Amino acid sequence: MEGPRWEEGGHGIALHVARRLIYRAGQLGAVLMSVATLLFILVRLSASPAALLAGAGASHAEVRSAHVAYGLDGPILQQYVTFVTRALRLDFGQSPAHQAAALEVVRLRLPATLMLTAAALAATALVGVSLGVWLGLRADRPEHGWAFRLLLTGQSLPALIVGLVLVQVVGMTSAMGASAPLSFTLSALTLTWWLTPRAARLTAGPVAGAVRQTWVLTAKAMGATSRDVLWGHVLPNSLLAALALVGVQVAFLLSAAVVVEWLFGWPGVGNLLAVSMQARDFPVVEAAIFAIAFLVFATYAMVDLVLAAVDPRLRRRATPP
Amino acid sequence: MTGPVLAHEMGLSRRLLPAPAIPRPGLLVGGMVGLMAVAVLGLVGAGIVQEHAAPAQRLLAPGTIGHPLGTDQLGRDVLARTLAGFRWSLAVVLPATLIAGLAGTGIGLAAAASLGWTRVILERATETAAGFPFLVLAAPVIAIVGRGYWPLLIVLAILASAPFALAVFDATWGGRGRMPVFQALYAVPAALPVVGAFIVADLVVTEACLSFLGVGAPEVAPSWGNMLADARQNVTTAPWILYAPAAALVLTVLSANWFGEGLGQLWRVKAR
Repeated sequence: MEGPRWEEGGHGIALHVARRLIYRAGQLGAVLMSVATLLFILVRLSASPAALLAGAGASHAEVRSAHVAYGLDGPILQQYVTFVTRALRLDFGQSPAHQAAALEVVRLRLPATLMLTAAALAATALVGVSLGVWLGLRADRPEHGWAFRLLLTGQSLPALIVGLVLVQVVGMTSAMGASAPLSFTLSALTLTWWLTPRAARLTAGPVAGAVRQTWVLTAKAMGATSRDVLWGHVLPNSLLAALALVGVQVAFLLSAAVVVEWLFGWPGVGNLLAVSMQARDFPVVEAAIFAIAFLVFATYAMVDLVLAAVDPRLRRRATPP
Repeated sequence: MTGPVLAHEMGLSRRLLPAPAIPRPGLLVGGMVGLMAVAVLGLVGAGIVQEHAAPAQRLLAPGTIGHPLGTDQLGRDVLARTLAGFRWSLAVVLPATLIAGLAGTGIGLAAAASLGWTRVILERATETAAGFPFLVLAAPVIAIVGRGYWPLLIVLAILASAPFALAVFDATWGGRGRMPVFQALYAVPAALPVVGAFIVADLVVTEACLSFLGVGAPEVAPSWGNMLADARQNVTTAPWILYAPAAALVLTVLSANWFGEGLGQLWRVKAR
């Protein structure tokens, strides 16, 4: 009787990581191409494409130079190629409102957004994941019912409402006047509120599933304590599955951040996008969408990498007996 | 903030591990009662109290005769505007969900029914689209096109198609290979109301967020997002403007989420 043998240090993980990264890069490329195409169609449909491309508040000379740069006198197919090539080379032009290159304007706002999402993620990992584990371990107990409903209710309170209530409680009269620590704290609090119920529910499912597995019974029959089973087997198995599910939510945290950053005047990319689209500052809007798309797929790739690094199944390669 | 997690939450996905199988009719019943209340308010709410701007009656506090919940900065009755918001919200979100449901079901079934590379490409494209937070694209698009009922409806419909397609694909393909047609005939109608409820909840919030940012409903439309933006403007002078639209929004989202979750659990229990 010989089962499959497992070899340490096979090529499995390198191949797996390479395939995931190529997939994520492909996704990013496809999304960027689609975004550029959609924006090109909108620009062409607008009354004065050159004025839209140059951004609100552009001088005649700037509109003229945008007209030349995008080759708006050429055939439509050539215009499309020019537009997409410029976008993929991250050449979004100058923002008249900021008197700087649009990409540079967005880049300066990136650290603020990264700081905010990192804080919200850390708080959620602490609160949401613990809640999820607690809930998952009590899947068959009566308290699961009300705790679950409470979470569903928390999830149904939109970030916008939570944020507005916080604004009212604190008495923040305008987003501009808020001090940076206050604006950061309230933004992070609102985003944590947004992510926590989702993370808890997505953690509870896999934990409840893992507890039910027959190997839990086997381990206990062999004399392992409940604590050993929980920390040694149930959590490592279920948190991997949970991480994959929560990773998707992090991407959507970025869209919640647009509203939240604007509401509290936190100077991140989301805030910049909100302000720029209201002011029709096209170069900055385009650069901000590209930056967020990049962040989304970078997050997915990072989750893939973490999963590959901690999943022992990927570190071994099965060879036929 | 529509996401592929919808498919996971239904319990019909290939990636979800067994969920606790305690039937909770309370969620389903509570959600249904709430949705019925929302539907009734949507149908008749706009007729109960008349909404008209009266500049002489700006920022009246709640409890004023004729204005039980006060008035806003243009002298419009908060209660009347909130009630009218039910009709506005449903008139935008329900057609958008219907269109997205039809388009998404078509794409999802096409992906599950096709062979070889066609299937792989359709599946990957659906997965990519459902994993991208389209709000960050939808908002600038409306900013360029101009706010209004139709731009909002079309953008929301496109936004919600991808999660629908992913859910239908998951329900009929499910990583186990193609499902026999007779089985799909049960799986798809079972999945659609569950996904639909979650999507309605999601689109109601998205509509409010877009309008709040000034890239959704027209300025005069009784959208809860517009009212919340007014509340933000007058946060210190007239805090009462916030509560009514916020409560209406939460009631709608909560009912739809409870209904979807309750229904999903029902199927999950039956599937055992």
